[in-house]
Amino acid sequence: METLKDYLYTMESCNSCGQCRFILGPLSKGKDYVEVCPIYSRFLFESYSGQGLINIAQEILEGTLGYEEGLLEHIYSCTTCGACDINCKSVRDMEVMDTILALRAKCVEDGYGPLPAHKKYSSLVEKEHNIYGKDHDQRFDWLPEGTLTTNSDTVYFAGCTTSYLYPEIGINTVRLLQASDIKFDVLSAGEYCCGAPLWRTGQMAAAEKLVRHNLDMMKKRGIKTLVTSCAECYGTFKGLYPRIEELSFEVLHITELLRRSLQKGQLQFTNRLSMKATYHDPCLLGRLSELYIPWKGEIKAFGYHDPPKKFRRGTYGVYAAPREILKAIPGIELVEMTRRAENAFCCGGGGGVPDAFPELSLWIASERLGEAASTGAEAIISACPFCKSSFEKAIIAKQNPLHYYDITELIARAI
Amino acid sequence: MSLPGYIYKMLENVVGPENISDSPHILAAYRHFSPQAVHRPVSPAAVILPGSTEEVQNLIRICNRYHIKYIPEVSLFGMSAVAFPDTVIINLRRMNRILEINEVDRYAVIEPGVRHVQLKPEVLKRGLNYPTASVGPSCSVLANFVASGDHHVQHSFSRVSRYLLGIEWVLPTGEILRVGSPALGAGWFCADGPGPALRGLVRGWNGWGGGLGIVTRIAIGLDAWKGPPTLPVEGHSPQYQIRLPRECHRVHIFKFPSLDRVRDAMLEIGKAEIGFAVLKFFYATEAVLYTESANDFWELWNSGLYQKELPQALWVYLATWTPEEMEYEERVLSDIIRETGGEPVEESIRKKYEENMDFFIMVSFLQRTLKLGGGWSPTKLGGDSVHHMFEVAKSIPEFLSEFIDKGLILNAPHNFQIIPMEYGHMAHIELLYFYDRTAPDRRKVQMDISQKSLETDIRHGFHAATPAHGRAMMEKYGPLWSNFHLWAAKIRAAFNPQEISNPTS
Repeated sequence: METLKDYLYTMESCNSCGQCRFILGPLSKGKDYVEVCPIYSRFLFESYSGQGLINIAQEILEGTLGYEEGLLEHIYSCTTCGACDINCKSVRDMEVMDTILALRAKCVEDGYGPLPAHKKYSSLVEKEHNIYGKDHDQRFDWLPEGTLTTNSDTVYFAGCTTSYLYPEIGINTVRLLQASDIKFDVLSAGEYCCGAPLWRTGQMAAAEKLVRHNLDMMKKRGIKTLVTSCAECYGTFKGLYPRIEELSFEVLHITELLRRSLQKGQLQFTNRLSMKATYHDPCLLGRLSELYIPWKGEIKAFGYHDPPKKFRRGTYGVYAAPREILKAIPGIELVEMTRRAENAFCCGGGGGVPDAFPELSLWIASERLGEAASTGAEAIISACPFCKSSFEKAIIAKQNPLHYYDITELIARAI
Repeated sequence: MSLPGYIYKMLENVVGPENISDSPHILAAYRHFSPQAVHRPVSPAAVILPGSTEEVQNLIRICNRYHIKYIPEVSLFGMSAVAFPDTVIINLRRMNRILEINEVDRYAVIEPGVRHVQLKPEVLKRGLNYPTASVGPSCSVLANFVASGDHHVQHSFSRVSRYLLGIEWVLPTGEILRVGSPALGAGWFCADGPGPALRGLVRGWNGWGGGLGIVTRIAIGLDAWKGPPTLPVEGHSPQYQIRLPRECHRVHIFKFPSLDRVRDAMLEIGKAEIGFAVLKFFYATEAVLYTESANDFWELWNSGLYQKELPQALWVYLATWTPEEMEYEERVLSDIIRETGGEPVEESIRKKYEENMDFFIMVSFLQRTLKLGGGWSPTKLGGDSVHHMFEVAKSIPEFLSEFIDKGLILNAPHNFQIIPMEYGHMAHIELLYFYDRTAPDRRKVQMDISQKSLETDIRHGFHAATPAHGRAMMEKYGPLWSNFHLWAAKIRAAFNPQEISNPTS
């Protein structure tokens, strides 16, 4: 797997142009909601941005900046939402997100990272195979009986956060799969954490162990299609797993699968849900969801990549599927925020930020809710249990009148 | 070197502890050795984020009292002077209010932290527009206006500095000077007020000949916008498209047998006062802007299409209120092109522009210019008559060829743009070259090209280039430009007696 030195081209190529901090220009509707980097918005200094973090990465790599007071907190304040990466890649061939992740991995490798709040992930995962330390045997306690088709080559990968914190997402997903007449199974005790929290906090050895376990399970079961309702799991399967081993199965988010069902007429909405709502694109289902394609080669003069490299620029994220489904539900009026699709502002739930900096996470989520409210929406919908956690905490803490819905809940109510 | 504790504390008292830092990791962004930089910057002593004119004034007074050098900055890109020893960066991003958009008198009053990505949509939705320097969406509008940025549509507009109206300016000594109508409390509508006009002294440039103090507020003039109030964006980054209604928005690109014919067509179009934008554009930069990756660029460039079609070409964007007006402008344009010997370039090139009109609005993808590894540099950057600019252009091979022949820069000898202003009243020239930033001698290449370019101008008696802003360069070449450097030095001494504003080598 790549290490920090593999991203030297990115670090040295940066012209400090600022593209990593702002949304794609023409999408702007006015003065507000144009900054796309949560920590740049919150802390104001330019070092709190994709550019700043790769500048820091370069100095750490070169040995000119030491692990001084405040540095780790700075590095780990980033939600790893990838907005910097995609906006940089709208104009450049640079790997900003991967550089930030490699920087975190170096912090761990050097014995400084991650932060204390993140260190528990690896021990809990080792013991119970989930980051919450919950009993592994109870992972699928929420699963209604008689819903599985044993030995189906389609598997529903529920993920830790759904299974242990928000089982209703799992229950609704199962209901929707059944309604679409899709036969599926689960990995049961074979499902371990997807590895996202470890990957995003730089704990690569522990993350790789999980990846290998899950891949082994998939192979043993002959799985051809993996369905998930968690954006973090989705983005991890497509963004991390191929760095370790080529995927032998298709990865689908539940909204992609349901869109197919909707198009084929296998899924129909009969109930009216009257609401004006806006859709929040989860980072790892949107801009960071494209399949990683390993590249080994040389970057020659004038930036020529030999052999050509397939960049993940966020062009083909899962943007249309959830929107098409929501628009098809009678009574839902879907309105868009300025920062949408690949330019979506993070919910504050990623990169280990909620555990290390709960106030920052809350601030970011509140900012996003403010933008949602500015559209006139009464509800914000997303497709990720981490987004659910962030937004619901902020709604309660700030007494925000908005309602949050996971998309599976609304679809389940509409059928 | 860090600031003495008591000075840091005084500065902190002005802006609050969360808006100042001298931590090395916070200052890393200012030490970055950008591929476009000739010298590696040193770390500043601190970065400070004031939130108001009053705070700027108080900071500058402290800097004066203790002889602390300072550099104002908003977006870091391009011309920002970043970091000299013992210098503080005064970052103005917190001062980001759009104070007024006056739709009747057509002006906007803004603070330095307002970016194009913020102001542009605000004025478009009011049916107004302003000339947008070709810097990308994240740059400061104020910085571009005080630095006199050039842009793609100045054929029907002018240089942005011509749109500068009222100004609020904290001088290097800490005094507040209001220029134009704001000096009388008469609003922001006018650049001139009692006494001599001081607009010419307001400069956004860094370095010895450059910015004096900190401009904290400006008004800019606005013009009518002939497009829709919101931009119709389709697709996702980086493959987004903006198509404007074709009955009133059309792009044509013509190639000519010689540069003289390009010039003649440019002048005739200006005389006829048609067209929203007219420019002889960079052909290699065009290829960089309209491809996704460096590899895509090379594929296109190696095809030879652009070298065949675009070295002597003219881009014309017609924007009209009505289809009838478009019909008229196209007839006039057709006559001019026929008379000057032009013919359309390959359709695939023209079509790209109509599929993404952002090139003429905000140039949001401008930073693609950097994608060949980040090694790029502009030179010339001058302004004078259209005729003069074309004479300057013809001399470019005299000094550029040796760098191309040695393989030091991209083989693109025609990669210069000439953009007329005010319907051909004046024009701007810019030569842009790409170098491989990993080449060991790339900094020398930048300096050598700059020097050879100036020497060529001097040899021909050209007077359009903007000399470099370092003291040594100004003193070397000043005598060749009517000793302008002596005047610049006198102005600097009068306004910046302690030499603490915008330090330079």
